[in-house]
Amino acid sequence: MTPAIEIRNLAKRFNVKQGFFGKPREVRAVDGVNLRLEEGATLGIVGESGCGKSTLAKLILGLLAPTEGDVLVAGQSLGALDRRARARLIQPVFQDPFSSLNPRRRVVDVVAMPLVAQGGLSGAEIRAQSLAMLERVGISAEMAGRYPAQLSGGQRQRVAIARALVLRPRILLCDEPTSALDVSVQAQILNLLAELRRDMGITTLFISHNLAVVEHVADAVAVMYLGRFVEYAPAKELFAAPRHPYTRALLASVLTPEPGLGVPDVGLGDAMPDPSNIPPGCRFHPRCPVAIARCSTEAPPLVGGAECHLLTP
Amino acid sequence: MSLLEVRDLHVRFGQTAAVRGADIVVERGETHCIVGESGCGKSVTSLAVMGLLAKGAERRAARMAFDGIDLLPMNERALSRLRGDRIAMIFQEPMTSLNPAYTVGSQMAEVRTRHKGGTRRAALDRAEELLGRVGITAPGLRLGQFPHQLSGGLRQRVMIAMALMNDPELLIADEPTTALDVTIQAQILRLLAQLQAELGLGLMLITHDLGVVARVATRVSVMYAGQVVETATTAELFANPRHPYTRGLLDCLPVPGKLPPGSQLGTIPGMVPKLTEGFRGCGFRSRCAYAQPACEADIPLYGTTHLSRCVLSA
Ligand SMILES: Nc1ncnc2c1ncn2[C@@H]1O[C@H](COP(=O)(O)OP(=O)(O)OP(=O)(O)O)[C@@H](O)[C@H]1O
Ligand SMILES: Nc1ncnc2c1ncn2[C@@H]1O[C@H](COP(=O)(O)OP(=O)(O)OP(=O)(O)O)[C@@H](O)[C@H]1O
Ligand code: SF4
Ligand code: SF4
Ligand SMILES: [Mg+2]
Ligand SMILES: [Mg+2]
Repeated sequence: MTPAIEIRNLAKRFNVKQGFFGKPREVRAVDGVNLRLEEGATLGIVGESGCGKSTLAKLILGLLAPTEGDVLVAGQSLGALDRRARARLIQPVFQDPFSSLNPRRRVVDVVAMPLVAQGGLSGAEIRAQSLAMLERVGISAEMAGRYPAQLSGGQRQRVAIARALVLRPRILLCDEPTSALDVSVQAQILNLLAELRRDMGITTLFISHNLAVVEHVADAVAVMYLGRFVEYAPAKELFAAPRHPYTRALLASVLTPEPGLGVPDVGLGDAMPDPSNIPPGCRFHPRCPVAIARCSTEAPPLVGGAECHLLTP
Repeated sequence: MSLLEVRDLHVRFGQTAAVRGADIVVERGETHCIVGESGCGKSVTSLAVMGLLAKGAERRAARMAFDGIDLLPMNERALSRLRGDRIAMIFQEPMTSLNPAYTVGSQMAEVRTRHKGGTRRAALDRAEELLGRVGITAPGLRLGQFPHQLSGGLRQRVMIAMALMNDPELLIADEPTTALDVTIQAQILRLLAQLQAELGLGLMLITHDLGVVARVATRVSVMYAGQVVETATTAELFANPRHPYTRGLLDCLPVPGKLPPGSQLGTIPGMVPKLTEGFRGCGFRSRCAYAQPACEADIPLYGTTHLSRCVLSA
């Protein structure tokens, strides 16, 4: 079967100028990603802030052009599809609900937009479908008549989700969809996504910093570090037995709701990596608590879903 | 004297009662976490304290004082001298408070020179140092960048560093770490704890993340439909939640190991009521399994140290 998403050797580099006269520096935001995601699956993508998750999302959505490599959605390059077909195929839900909603339109009209653009429905049908989807995400008809600025952060995110779902797309790409939500609304949204996946077989990419949420929703998880997937595994295996040292540090940093335990220091140091100056060898070596001599010179090969010298036989 | 004392705060936007009874006290060196349903008035409460409510909002309170200074009669000029200086705020949406037209460096330097004077050079040095402390590498490079060139997490850390430019005594942080991954979140939380130990910083932390609350809060206040409905020390709140909403909230958490992946999570069925002007009584009653006629009257916060706004706690 054609995979829902196939990515080959994908890279995206940005040129950033340093001051007026400074040399331009090259930021390697996505640096060699490969992926095959089957129809109906949910992939969780986790990793440090700035490691390239949103850039990868924009590449998949066709909002950015890759510097190298290809993205195929349902076997096709997005560039080959018209806007309406693309909208029925894949829909995004972004991190920041404030900037992604048109401030001059009422909520119900924001959600109706994709339906209007598709054409073929009467105004009354469009309104009814929009209100029904809003209700499904917990936005009442009264709130649907307001402007985005008159809603709280979480309410706005629910609107963004309703807008993405109103066309019943085949693939949903969520970039931090629940980080603005309180846990009861988060639970509603996660249950809703699970239901849609069961009813419509929707394929989901789920970028999140909340590892408990990822563990709950994902079939497979990709751990990203400085533009690459350093570990890729079925969710169950990854959470039960993380193999890559970065994945282990990530899981050890999770703050479970247990009072009195404080905030752990997992020994990664305070210096975050710089994507315009990727270390030689293993890109994690300056921070890796278990690095060996080879790590600073030789890039580790991909073996069994992880890139780490300690995991090569 | 408490660092921040808010008693019976009310905020209205036209006919909507966004906040209708918020009591929050923050002591020096402590972290007071505010949690609650989205839309319950957490951000509006913090904006009311800062005097930054949208035009047309009506605010009243029995008391609102910072370090003993009454904030209620203060005019905009006096408030703006406190803001960004002795009281700093990290806003929920970084893009609304970062100016897209100016570089990170010039925005951060301006915060310093406006309140403390000194040279722009010295201010930029301090900005660079703070960016480093919040875990941004090549901080010199970031000073010259514009907000849209930064990832969500970088922007958030810029906001945090900017809030610390003038060594504030009170920091109001609205979801400061939600855009950050867990390793950086841990780093920022450790930095804030260190500032508390060194400078006695008082922190009012709004967050949805009950993991963060459990690990860093001294006290927790739970808000629902515009009211603080429960306040307790952290250990007490998690061990012995009293308000039915708080109990429901704790059941919504995906807890690995306890719940199989993909299974239905606990939710709190129903919706928040429309809080128009005349609304009285417990805002949770349309969703509460214990609702009774007494819940339709206004309910005070019961208790002495562990407070709960529920007839069951009377
Ligand atoms: N338009 C751009 N110009 C220059 N650099 C960019 C641009 N967009 C992203 N970057 C850089 O690319 C890197 C990856 O950014 P990206 O937004 O993909 O990270 P992310 O993993 O989504 O982070 P977060 O978890 O903080 O949202 C960052 O260093 C960022 O500064
Ligand atoms: N400018 C405004 N005009 C009208 N209503 C507003 C305005 N700002 C906020 N509100 C309303 O006030 C209530 C409280 O909003 P607030 O932003 O404080 O919620 P919150 O608790 O911070 O939620 P979240 O967790 O989603 O950020 C909401 O119902 C919101 O719709
Ligand atoms: S290859 Fe070396 S530096 Fe990289 S993760 Fe493995 S042990 Fe650590
Ligand atoms: S006051 Fe009544 S409705 Fe409100 S939480 Fe208590 S029992 Fe439930
Ligand atoms: Mg991102
Ligand atoms: Mg808010």
